[in-house]
Amino acid sequence: MKFSFARAALALAASLSLASCGGGGKATYPINITVNYQTESGLVLSTNGTDYTVPLPAAGQNSVTFVFPKQVEYGEAYSVIPKGATLSGNTLVALGTQPPHQTCQPSGRYPYNLLVYGTGGQLASINIYYDCAINSYPLGGAITGLTADGLVLANGNNGSVAVAANSTSFALANVPFNTTFGVSVLTQPTGLTCSVSGGNGSNNNGTGIMDDAASKNNAGVTNLVVSCVPNS
Amino acid sequence: MKSSTLRAGLALACAIGLSACGGGSGDLYLQGSIYPSVPLTADGLILQNNGGNDLAVPAGAVTFQFGNRVSTDDEFNITVKQAPTNSSIANCHVQNGHARANYYTIGQISVYCDINQIAMTVAVNGLTGAGLTLVNGSDKKDVPAGATSVVMATVSQDGPYAVKILNQPAGQTCAVTGGDTGTGTGKVGATPVTSVVVTCTNNAAST
Repeated sequence: MKFSFARAALALAASLSLASCGGGGKATYPINITVNYQTESGLVLSTNGTDYTVPLPAAGQNSVTFVFPKQVEYGEAYSVIPKGATLSGNTLVALGTQPPHQTCQPSGRYPYNLLVYGTGGQLASINIYYDCAINSYPLGGAITGLTADGLVLANGNNGSVAVAANSTSFALANVPFNTTFGVSVLTQPTGLTCSVSGGNGSNNNGTGIMDDAASKNNAGVTNLVVSCVPNS
Repeated sequence: MKSSTLRAGLALACAIGLSACGGGSGDLYLQGSIYPSVPLTADGLILQNNGGNDLAVPAGAVTFQFGNRVSTDDEFNITVKQAPTNSSIANCHVQNGHARANYYTIGQISVYCDINQIAMTVAVNGLTGAGLTLVNGSDKKDVPAGATSVVMATVSQDGPYAVKILNQPAGQTCAVTGGDTGTGTGKVGATPVTSVVVTCTNNAAST
């Protein structure tokens, strides 16, 4: 960042007078990269075959800024994407090498929503922004004995779901990594009383935490059981 | 949608008697999105343009559109006359709501209202052991031995709450009662949630 002006001016001058450069080398362009909100290391960004493991932000910071170790030459096409990822427009379709429990995408926030690909010399200065977000994983399970309408399940203040009669499964909103959940019956169905069990907590009562084991392979926690019996 | 016939008729009348239409409706609809793009969770939002032209936006709406069209270069100024019942005027914001109308500016308008955050306190009885952990969804609170109440994270008005025990304390078993349902769950109203109770009893001594 700090030398972007001088570098940009130099690059501009070089590209303008390229023909007169004689034996001088081609102009090259540094790639300035900012990655926001990465909380666990593991993101590997790749540019034209060169890989770079993105460091974590300094303590108390949300973002890290660095210059990619390889510059692009004038006229050289480049893209800065996680290793193994593929792009559709400015969005990753295959995610490539991401941090654990996070997904980093080219920023969609104005004014940081700049293209992560281009050709050296198109822009006076190449600036790339990525935003990382915590992944969320499924929360749900099975239902037995639900012969009537009216059941509403809630996960605390994080949302609820109405479940129709004769349903045998349910799903609540996905739960972010390392976040607790606790599923309760908010409204009982007509003439029935339902209770919640399961989860990965210590009480088998529909509680737990979306920990590393639960988030493996995006499985989430789907062993909750809602058992409904007729009111006596 | 329901006024389209009327609108078409008006447009036709204008087209026929164009010179007589004066400052009548133009060809730009003042519209926008409710941001963030989640539905409003309560009725009550009323938007105004230039201090009039009230537009009620119901719960569940993700967009709005004023009935009166405006002409290019007309000044518009969209304000919140009344907030949804679970928000307040101070918590409602209009982005890009004041400009002169053209095809660009009328596409940039958005409104968002932050839902009121309501305090929540859980009463605790008989807790003598260490290790009790309560959860209300993503909100997790460790409760020290001897505590008689726990201040939970604030909760969104009109949303659900469901307090559960994630970890029991050493040597005791606690149960959650109270709330709207008697089991520690309910719907958040406009006043602090204080009705949830956790009661702990000593486990029977093993013989």
